[in-house]
Amino acid sequence: MSLYPSFARPRTLADAATLLASLASGGVVIAGGQELMPSINQGVLAPEVYVDIGGLAELRGITETPEGRVGIGALTVHRELQTDPRVRAQLPLLAHAATRAGGGRQVHNRGTIGGNLVAQHPLYDIAPPLLALEAEVEWVKGRETVRQPLAAMLADSRHGLGSEAILTRVLVVPMADGLGWAYEKLKASGGAYGSANAAALVKLKEGRVAAVRLVVGAVADRLIDASEAAAALLVGRRFDAEAGAALAGAVSALVAAPLSDAQGPGPWRQAMAGVVAQRALAAAVARAGRG
Amino acid sequence: MDDLAQSVLVQWRVNGVLHELDVLPGLSLLDVLREQLNLTGTHMGCMTGHCGACTVMIDGRIAKSCIAQAATLPRAEIRTIEGLMGPDGRLSPVQQAFWDEAGFQCGYCAPGMLFSAIELLAETPDPTDAEIDSALAGSLCRCTGYQSLRRAVRAAARALKDPNPD
Ligand code: FES
Ligand code: FES
Repeated sequence: MSLYPSFARPRTLADAATLLASLASGGVVIAGGQELMPSINQGVLAPEVYVDIGGLAELRGITETPEGRVGIGALTVHRELQTDPRVRAQLPLLAHAATRAGGGRQVHNRGTIGGNLVAQHPLYDIAPPLLALEAEVEWVKGRETVRQPLAAMLADSRHGLGSEAILTRVLVVPMADGLGWAYEKLKASGGAYGSANAAALVKLKEGRVAAVRLVVGAVADRLIDASEAAAALLVGRRFDAEAGAALAGAVSALVAAPLSDAQGPGPWRQAMAGVVAQRALAAAVARAGRG
Repeated sequence: MDDLAQSVLVQWRVNGVLHELDVLPGLSLLDVLREQLNLTGTHMGCMTGHCGACTVMIDGRIAKSCIAQAATLPRAEIRTIEGLMGPDGRLSPVQQAFWDEAGFQCGYCAPGMLFSAIELLAETPDPTDAEIDSALAGSLCRCTGYQSLRRAVRAAARALKDPNPD
């Protein structure tokens, strides 16, 4: 082991996976660097080995998979999520949420979807829409390729930065025509982060809610999937003021341990979780109605 | 198997000039531009990606050089604020607009504001105020209160549409 870090830029995914598996500890995957470099610069992280996956063609591109999913390579940057015609047409919720990510154009140009998800950061804007869309993620670890629901990845902290596994692709079923969607980000500070975020999807039948997905972020250390609570309250009903108030109350009640940080104090965050949920649902319903 | 390197050879064209450099793993592009190439117009404000004072263009897209790791750019076309003026030493139209509208006071934020305006106007020649605000959102200015920056971007948009007004 050396006092100074070393660096490798594998040419293939297989090489990268083998290399990571061979490093006992201290190997850190880097691509755009937007998540990692602030910690390196501040001395919070001091990796022994950088494994630069930026050259791996296998991790690039946005395609349609044989089973009809949108397959988004892990190196896809936020800017591509905002502008790619396929993402805009088939996953407008994701394309829109990517415009709300912090850091400005400079960060949107370099920050990857893989880095965003692997960071497992409760205040980030990409996981809530993807969880609402029931996305799956694909990993390579050693010789193994694993596919799992994003929900399972988010529940497992071993998938964070510094993991031996490489996130390769995000797979999402295209949104059906007429599906209402919205992403609400409530910003109370001048910074990049929301104090409460909500991603909503809703299907209407004759003006009544037929199906709903709802995910709330930035209020607790994990995202809150409020879909079941929302369905129990709303399916079969019109989304009116009364239903909205009931939803807000139910969502706030799901926030057991609210975050208390620069984005606001815990009790207020808990209340705002309900507010963004109500707003997101209202906007999604309005969009479904227009559709 | 890939070799683990203690330093990485990179080939960059910086403001049109080709450089071959050995860079240390972990170093930011900002460090290398300022310390190895003496291009100190790219400013260091925070090193955490918040302030935008370190903004450059990498392969035609703007980026914060403090959070781009130099070694991850084996080959790149890089443009810094030093590369904005014309060969005759004249300010570029966007720089001129910021000058005319007193867009800056101390100028520390200039790399972020200028590059953000340049990228915005290349894609959106007629931006709304909301589009200007969102384009500048990755850069902080401690002096101006942002009003003059907005004015400068509007003036730059006019100048780029009609380069020779009389
Ligand atoms: S120095 Fe790079 S964003 Fe502040
Ligand atoms: S003019 Fe001083 S920071 Fe913007």
